[in-house]
Amino acid sequence: MQPNKLLKPALYSVEAHDGSGATARLKGGRCRCGYVFFPMQTYGCERCGSHGGALTPCELSANGTLLAEATVHLHADKNRPAPFTIVKVALDDGPVIRTLLADGSAAVAPGQRVTGRLAAVGQSESGETVLDLRFSIAS
Amino acid sequence: MTRSLNALRPVYVVGIGWHRYQNPSETPYVELGLTAIRAALADARIEWPTVESTYVATALLGMASGRPMLRHLGATGAPLMHVENASASGSTAFRHACIEVASGISDVALAVGVDKRNPVRRPDTGIGNLAEDAIVPFTHFALLTNEYAVRHNASTDDIALVAVKNHRNGAKNPHAQRQQERTLDEVLGGKRVSGSLTSLQCTPIGEGAAAVIVASEDGIRRLGIDAGRAIRTTASVGRSERVYPPGAGFDAALTKETAELALAQAKLAPKDLDIIELHDAFTVEELHYIESIGLCPEGHGVRMLKDGALDIGGQCAINPSGGLIAMGHPIGPTGIGQIGEIVMQLRGEAGPRQHRGARIGLAHMVGVGAVCYVHILQR
Ligand SMILES: [Zn+2]
Repeated sequence: MQPNKLLKPALYSVEAHDGSGATARLKGGRCRCGYVFFPMQTYGCERCGSHGGALTPCELSANGTLLAEATVHLHADKNRPAPFTIVKVALDDGPVIRTLLADGSAAVAPGQRVTGRLAAVGQSESGETVLDLRFSIAS
Repeated sequence: MTRSLNALRPVYVVGIGWHRYQNPSETPYVELGLTAIRAALADARIEWPTVESTYVATALLGMASGRPMLRHLGATGAPLMHVENASASGSTAFRHACIEVASGISDVALAVGVDKRNPVRRPDTGIGNLAEDAIVPFTHFALLTNEYAVRHNASTDDIALVAVKNHRNGAKNPHAQRQQERTLDEVLGGKRVSGSLTSLQCTPIGEGAAAVIVASEDGIRRLGIDAGRAIRTTASVGRSERVYPPGAGFDAALTKETAELALAQAKLAPKDLDIIELHDAFTVEELHYIESIGLCPEGHGVRMLKDGALDIGGQCAINPSGGLIAMGHPIGPTGIGQIGEIVMQLRGEAGPRQHRGARIGLAHMVGVGAVCYVHILQR
């Protein structure tokens, strides 16, 4: 297998490699009050204000249910050429996140089961394949 | 014990003024702001030295922009402060001007909003994110449009009717950035932006200024201001986002709790409202917020819109100014311009866009963050 590199290793990790790439785990956190959030941080809990050791890392499944999608037709930032599609996903583990739909994914609609996978998005300077999180319909 | 605004001394809006909202131009902000302030002073028929305190709402001009503008009115030495609260900057400045007068610290205060279209800089919290660079405001609201349409079985063409109504209102407003009526075909046929949103369903960020002068009864008497044109602020509430259930739209949830508090403060029910100026930066927001304010149950907004209940002359005129979609959204001025529009309507001075018999108006703004401000004005 070729060497690869995660674009945002603070936010996710590789769960397992399978035939079509890698499945992902998200690096969330849990407060002792029970609140689960993404991404992990130790500044303080948005629900109860506890901080530091009250907040512990908590791996989240990248499986969830699609709440909404929008294909962006106009985007000023040249680093993100339009069109691309943004999805809003209710993770099975609680938090709601928003990120990109995988390039070439079939069209998605609210209510569908989706999953986050690590997809190749470019090459690093040292020639590694750079992977970033993208959602697609759950297989 | 704490008190709400209307438990303090009564505070009235006595002067309103604008510089037209417009596409970005070479006009310096100083000229925009001075035009609005001088119009508000002329409307109140008072002189600048009678203003005891100034709140300058601006999000994009940079540090300490107020004094280089205000000095051209004659440097009186009166205090001034700057208010930045994203889209709600103007609403927040108005709230604090009202509080200052209601508390008895001043008899006459000015809230002025002025902005030019400059790049928005957001703070770096040190917490990473997956793709926030790819999710600008119109995409946030394109996602909410998709959710609303699916949840309530509403067609995105029907949601776009909000823009048809607000362009129609803006066409009658000389202070509006967009003053052209648009058919549904024109709205839907415009440039596609994100999801089902087209450019005529999105606010055109521009530049401009709005000013309002507030005064106490003592101030009104002392300065000989026409009390018959003074409009009382009967509620003022500011809130910020809490943690809502996963998947709940925070803009709507925050609006609901803020509006409820404001209506309770003024001892009113949603059905009592004649006019609402609300944050319709994108079409779907108007439906979310009329439902959150309580004009109708969730999902029934499209029905009210199609029945004409939200038109000028309907059950409750929503955004008679044209709203953010047509009047425009220069950021700092927007919340102050809403107050000016409601005052004009309650005075019966709104000319071709007058909502007849208007006695009670509500102004609503949300700002990125999120914050929400609601004011109620009554004749
Ligand atoms: Zn907690």
